[in-house]
Amino acid sequence: MSLQALSGLKVIEWSEFVSGPYCGKLLADLGADVVKVERPSLGDRARGYGPFPKGIPHPEKSGLFLYLNTNKLGVTLNVGCASGAEVLKGLIKQADVLVQNNPPRYLEELELDYEHLKNVSPRLVMTSIAPFGQTGPNRDNKSCNLTTFHTSGIAFVNPSDGVDDTEAKPPLQGPEHQAGLLAGLSAAIGTMSAVFAQQTTGQGQHVDLSEQEALASIARRELAVYAVEGMGWTRLKGSQPGMASDIYQCSDGRVYLICFHDRTWESWVEFMGNPEWAYNELFLDIATRRENWDAAKVMIEEFTKEHTVEEVLRATEARRIPCKPVNSAKQLVESELLAERDFFAEVGHKEAGNVVFPGAPFKLSETPWSVQRPAPLLGEHNEEVYCGRLGYTKQDLVRLRAAGVI
Amino acid sequence: MDKLPLDGIRVADFTAVWAGSHITQWLGVMGAEVIKIESNLRPDLTRQVFRGMSDECPMSAVFAVLNYGKKGCVLNMTNPKARELAKELIKMSDIVAENFGGPVMDRWGLGYSELKKVKPDIIMYAGSGFGRTGPDRERPAFAGIIEAFSGICAANAYPDGEPLPMATRGYSDLAAAEHGVFAILAALYHRSRTGQGQYIDLSMTEVMASLLPESIMQYTMNGTVDAPRGNGDRLMAPHGCYRCRGDDEWVAIAVSTDEEWDALCGAMGNPEWAKDERFHSGLRRLENREELDRHIQEWTREQDHRQVAETLQKAGVIAGPSSKVEEVVEDAHLAHRGFFVDIDHPGVGALRLAGLPWKLSNVPPGAYSHAPLLGQDNDYVFRELLKLSDEEIARLEEEQVIY
Repeated sequence: MSLQALSGLKVIEWSEFVSGPYCGKLLADLGADVVKVERPSLGDRARGYGPFPKGIPHPEKSGLFLYLNTNKLGVTLNVGCASGAEVLKGLIKQADVLVQNNPPRYLEELELDYEHLKNVSPRLVMTSIAPFGQTGPNRDNKSCNLTTFHTSGIAFVNPSDGVDDTEAKPPLQGPEHQAGLLAGLSAAIGTMSAVFAQQTTGQGQHVDLSEQEALASIARRELAVYAVEGMGWTRLKGSQPGMASDIYQCSDGRVYLICFHDRTWESWVEFMGNPEWAYNELFLDIATRRENWDAAKVMIEEFTKEHTVEEVLRATEARRIPCKPVNSAKQLVESELLAERDFFAEVGHKEAGNVVFPGAPFKLSETPWSVQRPAPLLGEHNEEVYCGRLGYTKQDLVRLRAAGVI
Repeated sequence: MDKLPLDGIRVADFTAVWAGSHITQWLGVMGAEVIKIESNLRPDLTRQVFRGMSDECPMSAVFAVLNYGKKGCVLNMTNPKARELAKELIKMSDIVAENFGGPVMDRWGLGYSELKKVKPDIIMYAGSGFGRTGPDRERPAFAGIIEAFSGICAANAYPDGEPLPMATRGYSDLAAAEHGVFAILAALYHRSRTGQGQYIDLSMTEVMASLLPESIMQYTMNGTVDAPRGNGDRLMAPHGCYRCRGDDEWVAIAVSTDEEWDALCGAMGNPEWAKDERFHSGLRRLENREELDRHIQEWTREQDHRQVAETLQKAGVIAGPSSKVEEVVEDAHLAHRGFFVDIDHPGVGALRLAGLPWKLSNVPPGAYSHAPLLGQDNDYVFRELLKLSDEEIARLEEEQVIY
């Protein structure tokens, strides 16, 4: 195994579902030694989420879990009992970083919050991910992708061009589990910054990450515009200047097309065969086009509807007009571009077989991203970790298992 | 501890607009010395266009919230002398970052292979729409196009299925930028242990694809494509956004267990309809979600959205108001946590801007200096760092090299 970017960084990930596991995955995929701690028998909640092969639920075959837990070792541990908490502390003493996303109050009840754990290991970087962070009046509120998108302000501005019927179409959450993913990403950055401080001072610290803030951070433009100009947001289509959608219907699909600026406009008009309407004074320069873009879009779509996606792509490519198809997951997976970039990863898994999932979005020239091992089976590395690292005997494991600790 | 985590790290910053500027801004706030390089010929686009909502805006809100924590200098890179100065600055830097719409750094003789010769352990970050290799390596990135191509628009839809442009200007830019920050920190960690630098090639398209694992794996496992869920969920019901009283006010509610369902029913006053066998289990509720949503909205319709959320949270149900932009800026919880930072801008005054979404217990909050005025730190860069004399600087200004 060649040296990777984060080789040598030792991480305990006591977390489940999306945010904590994505943080752990980002670290593990670049070579950190990540031990994932799961509840005995049930395991991480993502094991029950899917998608599953043939749609049949199986705790070792959930797509979400298999994606989020690559390159980790997996152990089971009932942290809620006293002897389980002791085992966790044993793991923590050997680690640089603990990533956890348990509810703040639960952690305090178990006396496993930062105030307690810093006494176990003063050099520990402890990253706590919670829906609303560890402090403040809402810190004990529960959340999920839906409510994190809504409470951060992003849902209210989604879709970005507004809706035609504000009663029938509510503010909209972002797709899948992007709230958790973006929170986990921010947590990984915060964690790395604390690791640098740990390198220089030998001291650990607490990284307190709020999922709500991680998403509000993505709405930074809208928040800043309000702060500077006092302008809020109304959802009715057309009420926000410059936010019109550039999605156009073709005869066999849709494209996203930007032909608004002078050069691309002229070039696009030429492709349309120089129709008379395009020479109307409403569309002659960029300022008047801006004013009348909704009308232009209707006419453009009349044209694109008569052409295939392929025809529009070929024409825009030749004319250097920015344009791409509006892809489904199928089209994305089958895209030539991602194949040429060698983006998707394929990994053999004992239970789920060969699984294909997204690879890394960045290529590091000297320490390439790779999947060294698939997501762990539940408790797969109990013996390796508990005996190999903490010095328990096999008899100890039998005893701990019988007592429901592991 | 007084020092910030990236204290002592210098960044030669050629990035601009959303996807680049946000990266180096976070590096700056974490303590790196970031020197943003622009020119009077080509200032960052967000200084002039995409400034804010209205043309009357006294300054660019967008530039302000993408460039705090940085220093700024100007170099007219069309001039070979400027490129030499840039190279000298890079020699004194740890990281060089760019997100041009094509191989501009190579054309300037500042590609990775050249830079490695003069600064062997340099970490070079290159952000682009489709990657610095492959068929689209020279295509500029537009957030909307990336989101369409990567499948986000198709997944961002009401149940009617019409693909929609993603929320917020620059959603994919910012998601890509934050992945870029992580990659850079990982490369820095590697350098700190081995002395080795490297080149980072980040693709916005791939960032967005890596945020859609479920749709992608549904297809790779089963050959099928999930229908868009709107505000719904694969497993949970109710799971939606419900109209409240007031002007376009809504509350989001999600129920993940039977226990939470009972708590929701209790909060609603245990209505008759909720006892129907069609709502008795999670599976039944999922099957009958539309009818369920209608009933719940009847209950929320005449209430205050924040009140509903508070009541439900107290009962143990996942709920939150669908906050408007102004509600987020004025949110008491976020204020308590100090999420927004007040940054003084010359000539404008204090602006309240989104800060880092995490807090460190043991270091100061971060270097939140205002976004640089064009060329504001020329003196520091050219006199102090590059040791140019006053005469040389005057001549270079005259020749429009420092320009």
